[in-house]
Amino acid sequence: MENQFELNPLIELIYSQGLPEQMVVVLLLFPIIATFVVLLRQVFGLQAFGIYTPTIITVVFMAMAHKSLDDLAYPIAIYIFVIVIGMLMRFVFKKLRLLYLPRVALNLTIITFSVLFILTIAGFFGMTEFSFFPILILITIVEKFVLVQIEKGTKVAASLAFETLFIAIIGYLIMTPITPIGQYISIGVQEYPYLILFIIPVNLILGKWTGLRVTELIRFKEILKKIKS
Amino acid sequence: MFEFISSLFSALSASKKVLGMNSRNLTYIRPHNLKNARILADNKIESKKIFKKNNIPTPALIAKISSHEELEQFNWNLLPDSFVLKPNSGLGGSGILIVYARKKGAQNVWIKSNGKTIAIKDLFNHISHILDGAFSITNSADIAFFEERLKISKELKPYSYRGIPDIRIIIYNKVPVMAMLRLPTKSSDGKANLQQGGIGVGIDIATGTTTTAVQGKNKIIDYIPKTRMLLRGIKIPHWNEMLEHSVRAQEVSGLGYLGADIALDRDNGPVFLELNAQPGLSIQIANMAGLKDRLERVEGLKIKNAAHGVRVGKNLFGGEIEQELEETSGKKVIGSIEKIIFNGKNNKSIEVDAKIDTGAYSTSIDIDLAKKLGFSATIEAFEKINLNQFDIKPNNGSIIEKEFLKKYKNTIPFLETVAVVFAASGSSIRPVIKTSLVIDGEKIVAKINIVNRSNLKYPAIIGKRNLHKFLIDVSK
Repeated sequence: MENQFELNPLIELIYSQGLPEQMVVVLLLFPIIATFVVLLRQVFGLQAFGIYTPTIITVVFMAMAHKSLDDLAYPIAIYIFVIVIGMLMRFVFKKLRLLYLPRVALNLTIITFSVLFILTIAGFFGMTEFSFFPILILITIVEKFVLVQIEKGTKVAASLAFETLFIAIIGYLIMTPITPIGQYISIGVQEYPYLILFIIPVNLILGKWTGLRVTELIRFKEILKKIKS
Repeated sequence: MFEFISSLFSALSASKKVLGMNSRNLTYIRPHNLKNARILADNKIESKKIFKKNNIPTPALIAKISSHEELEQFNWNLLPDSFVLKPNSGLGGSGILIVYARKKGAQNVWIKSNGKTIAIKDLFNHISHILDGAFSITNSADIAFFEERLKISKELKPYSYRGIPDIRIIIYNKVPVMAMLRLPTKSSDGKANLQQGGIGVGIDIATGTTTTAVQGKNKIIDYIPKTRMLLRGIKIPHWNEMLEHSVRAQEVSGLGYLGADIALDRDNGPVFLELNAQPGLSIQIANMAGLKDRLERVEGLKIKNAAHGVRVGKNLFGGEIEQELEETSGKKVIGSIEKIIFNGKNNKSIEVDAKIDTGAYSTSIDIDLAKKLGFSATIEAFEKINLNQFDIKPNNGSIIEKEFLKKYKNTIPFLETVAVVFAASGSSIRPVIKTSLVIDGEKIVAKINIVNRSNLKYPAIIGKRNLHKFLIDVSK
């Protein structure tokens, strides 16, 4: 991204210390993404693996597909692969009756090999530029998944995984500098970083929000119809 | 535009009566269910102890195993023929193993609920898993325990598939606010869990009678699927006792917002299963009613004791059955005596007390009332006719009716037809007029007999021909 806009002096100071621009922008966006996830969960009622997971996945998507929207296919493929394998392994491990930790370790092993396989295939398509940490983060999703799977069953875990993915994709599309909105936002945080403080009152309001979520309006629509009449 | 705004406004005010996740957590669970009480609710053995101490019936504890060492030394002969094995901090009913009977002729081999056998080796493995925390809420080490197996009560047996139905009652501020009966079904694999396809049936707090029902997350049903078992109108046995136990359980547990789970045992009546610190929201769908509205109505009430709380709950949250019945059947419920408005000639209408009589076929009114309604001319003209010319016998009514109408229809104003009544006490021919009447807000056009009722208590009687839009509650 070219610096055609006027940087805030604070951001300028940070850059002058040699910090990479992409990292600074992602860090600045991080609280905004987190608040966005809160909004989707508290007000719209989308479920997900906590708040950290969808937030960090959004960042992973931004890091892995920072050049073109098409590159998003790879992290999404890895994500789905990890979840599907985690799901299948459940049925294998159920018979073996293993303890939790060794089971997750086995899961990780199988998933690591599978991810290596995907990356090799991606190489065939000319995609070789992967950084290490985003992929590692994607792999660790499996622990979240297995945890929910044990507690609430495969169906719930799968739907949470799907909603997490959905939130991350929406978050990515809004935040990545590739899209027009994302461009405004990423320039905005560099020009006026103090605007980020605006999320404090937003979260204070969301933290006291007791209204029905959008999904609950759907869930309870029969009751609402009845009360209205 | 105005309509749109007002419908939006009513949707908004309706949504304020329903309890959502945000409000449940922030307004009710957080301030009213403090940490110690929540820990107690998650600990089944401790909960059991507290129930016992306070004389709240609960399934008896047979034995508990707290460590692998205890498991190695466990005396399997202690176990009775049937029992339930549970993890102490199990989540959502996971890790529960139900054993029905000892297998005949084999030493320490039991039969599970699905008919398969289970030996000590299998029990040992299962317990070992429980101890490792495979089913625990926090995935940390847990305790396994054996408890007495409940037997399904006669009253509820026809409604449940394999498992035991239970009753969830929400208690807030010592008042029972909402309740549902949870029935295990074939599709829920004998589990009374709504998420797994069980059935939730709303219960009227005042009477302990079931109202509406939901299967799974959102499917409204009237009957148990693939059967003719109607889910409405099931009378829950020992209802009062259940309500009082739940209120007392709230008092002793310290959970301000409690979901009490109670089962009905064939021999021991209501037994307390467990405390729930985060009761789910589906109970609202089962009852077709908003929980938030009810919680706000009991907020801040000064409740002296359990009996008082039960009374308040019954007064506030009862009587919805009737309305329920009206909505689901599309029929209104009326009493055996109702105020009826008769519309007469010249826009005249008169309201009288009428007897609702399903034993009578048609509706009749007194001569006097008919005159007041403007049918004097009809009656006078009818009275001039010599009725003795007709010889009434059983079965010749329709012939007489035809004959009469042929001869006199044009001479009697407003005459619709005549009714020929053959009775032991005296046969008669009555003039019949056609007019409209209003029963509980429903306008009905009816053919009405005119007859001398001056010696009877009510000037009108409504017969079943005009009652097909209503259900009659004789106690009303």
